Amino acid sequence: MATSTAEATAAVRRRPAAGGLAARGAVASVLVIVVLLIPVVLPSFRASQATRAVIFAIIGLSLNVLLGHLGQISLGHQAFVGMGAFASGLMVGKGIPFFLALPLAGVIGALAAAILGLVALRIRGLYLALVTLAFGFVAEESIFNVNALTRGGEGMPAPRPPGFLSDPAYMYLCLIVLAVVLLMDWRLVKTKGGRAIMAIRHDERVAATLGVNVTFYKLFAFMLSGFLAGIAGSLFAHWITNIATNDFVLDLALVWVFMTVVGGLGSRAGIVIAATFFALLPILLEAIFPLLQLLPFINADMQGRLPRIVPVIGALLLVLTLTLYPGGIGQQLLPIRRWLAGGPFRDPLKHGRKHASRPAKRRRRRGSPPTPAGDGAATTTPTEAIVDAPGPAEAASAVAEAARATRPTGDGGA
Amino acid sequence: MAQLLEVRNLSIRFGGLQALQGVDLDVGEWEIVGLIGPNGAGKTTFFNCVTGIYRPNTGTVKYRGRDITKLPTHRKVRLGMGRTWQNLGVSRDLTVLQNLLIAQHASVRYGPLAGLFGAPGTFAEERNLRRDADEILDFLGLREVRDEVAANLPYGTLKLVDLGMALATDPEILLLDEPTSGMGPDEAHKLGDTLRFLRESLDLTILMIEHHVPLVVGVCDYVYVLNFGQILTRGEPQEVQRHPEVVAAYLGDQDGAA
Amino acid sequence: MIFTSILNGLITGTIYGLVALGLVLVYKGARVFNFAQGEFGTVAVFVAWILHTEPPGLPMLVALLLGLAAATLMGLLVERVVVRPLSQKPRVILLVATAGVAVGSIYLQLLLGEAEARVLPRLGGDRVFFVLNAALIWQNIIMILALVVIGVALYLFFSRTALGLAVLASSQDNLASQLSGVSTRRVSSLVWGLAAFLGGMAGLLQAPLSVFTPGFMTTTVLFPAFTGAVLGGMTSLPGAFVGGLGVGVLSQLGADYIPETIPGGRELVLFALLLLVLSVRPQGLLGKEA
Repeated sequence: MATSTAEATAAVRRRPAAGGLAARGAVASVLVIVVLLIPVVLPSFRASQATRAVIFAIIGLSLNVLLGHLGQISLGHQAFVGMGAFASGLMVGKGIPFFLALPLAGVIGALAAAILGLVALRIRGLYLALVTLAFGFVAEESIFNVNALTRGGEGMPAPRPPGFLSDPAYMYLCLIVLAVVLLMDWRLVKTKGGRAIMAIRHDERVAATLGVNVTFYKLFAFMLSGFLAGIAGSLFAHWITNIATNDFVLDLALVWVFMTVVGGLGSRAGIVIAATFFALLPILLEAIFPLLQLLPFINADMQGRLPRIVPVIGALLLVLTLTLYPGGIGQQLLPIRRWLAGGPFRDPLKHGRKHASRPAKRRRRRGSPPTPAGDGAATTTPTEAIVDAPGPAEAASAVAEAARATRPTGDGGA
Repeated sequence: MAQLLEVRNLSIRFGGLQALQGVDLDVGEWEIVGLIGPNGAGKTTFFNCVTGIYRPNTGTVKYRGRDITKLPTHRKVRLGMGRTWQNLGVSRDLTVLQNLLIAQHASVRYGPLAGLFGAPGTFAEERNLRRDADEILDFLGLREVRDEVAANLPYGTLKLVDLGMALATDPEILLLDEPTSGMGPDEAHKLGDTLRFLRESLDLTILMIEHHVPLVVGVCDYVYVLNFGQILTRGEPQEVQRHPEVVAAYLGDQDGAA
Repeated sequence: MIFTSILNGLITGTIYGLVALGLVLVYKGARVFNFAQGEFGTVAVFVAWILHTEPPGLPMLVALLLGLAAATLMGLLVERVVVRPLSQKPRVILLVATAGVAVGSIYLQLLLGEAEARVLPRLGGDRVFFVLNAALIWQNIIMILALVVIGVALYLFFSRTALGLAVLASSQDNLASQLSGVSTRRVSSLVWGLAAFLGGMAGLLQAPLSVFTPGFMTTTVLFPAFTGAVLGGMTSLPGAFVGGLGVGVLSQLGADYIPETIPGGRELVLFALLLLVLSVRPQGLLGKEA
């Protein structure tokens, strides 16, 4: 969440020593290399499943724009993914090259999401959730059943682009798209657009008085989310090479929402990890099924039904996340991210001694006597600080002193 | 003198409650005007109508002679109307700097898509924004807490952050909603100096809702009194202070406690 | 024939109404959209079916009652484990949590058994009689009667009994109610237990009509019931009644009269209805606040 970003950046105050930098560089490089080698190292079938993880990650990031950044819920995301998938299949079928169909599929998703965005201008919260649910149903039962668009039961073929026919090659393609999406989300959050969207989440009225065009940015968020979902849909279609209406159902949309929440709203890394977990869970379970059989209520004929356990585990993780670990995986990753960014591993606010170099903190050590109760004698207002022209440090410590006077005593941290 | 803000016959009704009735109010350029009145008189509702959060039933709001009554809020902000909030517009889970960056939204020179795709100009502009934000922080003496998460800061500091955010919208007129609430008498007095300083150095006009009578008397050029949604009286602070109906309306609030 | 459609619609509408009553109950009591309401019904049916068909094969009525008990227990469990810890969080979080319960329940059923369709015997037998060209069985009459009786009982409960008023007070102002001596925990358990009971009853009445599959209540009934509750007003019990029946009729008309070339007539009607109500009269026909 925003908190983790704020804390992560707030913690980066001192540059680590050369050795520390080297260590961080090494870890980061190893991570990148591992990811890049996955398609090559795994046998083909597994590489294919890993692609599913990548696509799920993109979907999670798309949901995150709505759920994490804007704070609105979408229970019908299968609509956008499906539309992107069918659009892509149709276009490629008509001879449009894949690399053009991919972004166009995104555009289709964006347009569909714009419809919901318009609805979201008037309807909010729980009721909006219902509407998104309804929209998903309309897509599932109505739009995806129009044979002209989706070829009905026989499924629509969606061949892989030339040059990326093999599973490992296609996975690299998806990885590249994921990397681009991650970059986009990073830039989004760090610039005007993302800030505006998050301001809307916090309080629409306040955002408006800060100059944010709320209508525009709500629509922008929905369309961006739809765009990414549409792209994921296209990648999905050409991964599985034949798509049918049944591939885009409500259950999947709900699992995606759970996945995003468990990953941690606003946490890119958390969402990618959660997506990988959810996508690869069936394989993992298959692998350890012999062990599972030792449990009393598991019998052999359950093996075929194993994939169904994913939503059950997902639901469990969801409830756990919501009740006990609200920041999801992202929250748990915070120390690692802070360390990789060059900061300390342990939370500086909880282990204050490492932070002693700033004057204000020195004044707030535990046990130091409080200022005499203020009639304002301890306060130096900003104006005086400026008019009397001391240096910035003095003004700063004046504010800190004022802050301390109004605070409960002895509290050195959050 | 040119009227920067001109409100005529503003009325708004919520269900059975007539919150504002026929309110007329003028703010001249570079004036500091106070809007006072007992709790529930409709002062914040008035601000909400002027800024476009609420749509009034009748009346006009003119800015530099131009009718902006129906203009959406964010456009009014871009014209130069900045505002603070009684309950603070600060996002608690962001840092002070991040809050200011949000407030600079209207002045950012690149569009949302450029930001998304990392166009080269965006990085430079982001640095500019941070520099401008730091100036405001220095101005208000908040540089120290620049990277502190807002939730960790005391109320008085957050009030200043809120003011900083309003300044970050690059306003010509500042609408301040109870800027001294939560402050002691000395701090409130010092705030008055800050406001005069803002007027002089930044050419600002100020319209403020206040309960703190000494501040109003000390700083405001002109005062309007709102009671039960109607303007009770108006005039120079000293006259208004002595007006018998004003005293009666404030019965119990005479020492300026909110 | 349009009367046939309307009558069939009313019959499906009774189940929508029953489920909607449960939804409104939870909303009035806890301001939560309960996505697990359908699963209370499915669980009741599965438990009843297992007890009846697997050895020792309990008699139908006993199995039904035990199924109902199982559903109620599930409701109490959900309240304790999921709802209570999240009671101070934003309502959307609770919605997602109840959706999690629903999904978990459905896939647990799929995991423990196959996705095949099963049959629950009908109350009053299989004799069919015709009214206005629509085929009715005794089960349908029982459904209608159940809806009426329960609707009236709930209405009286909330408007005439002290306990009912305590529930309403608790949802409107938790702190004040506690200060007045109302045990909000007991109220919360009561609301969810009662809602689960209603949900279980709806499932048991619905299942014999055709076949039932894992998660059938959630996949076929829950969403129309929600639409019915919104139409009638999420804060109005009589509204749930009216809205459920209304949605039944409208969606039946949609299914019967929208041409084949546009698939998914039911869903389109519901979507349009939802948008219409929420734009024009968000508090619903009989509700007092949105």
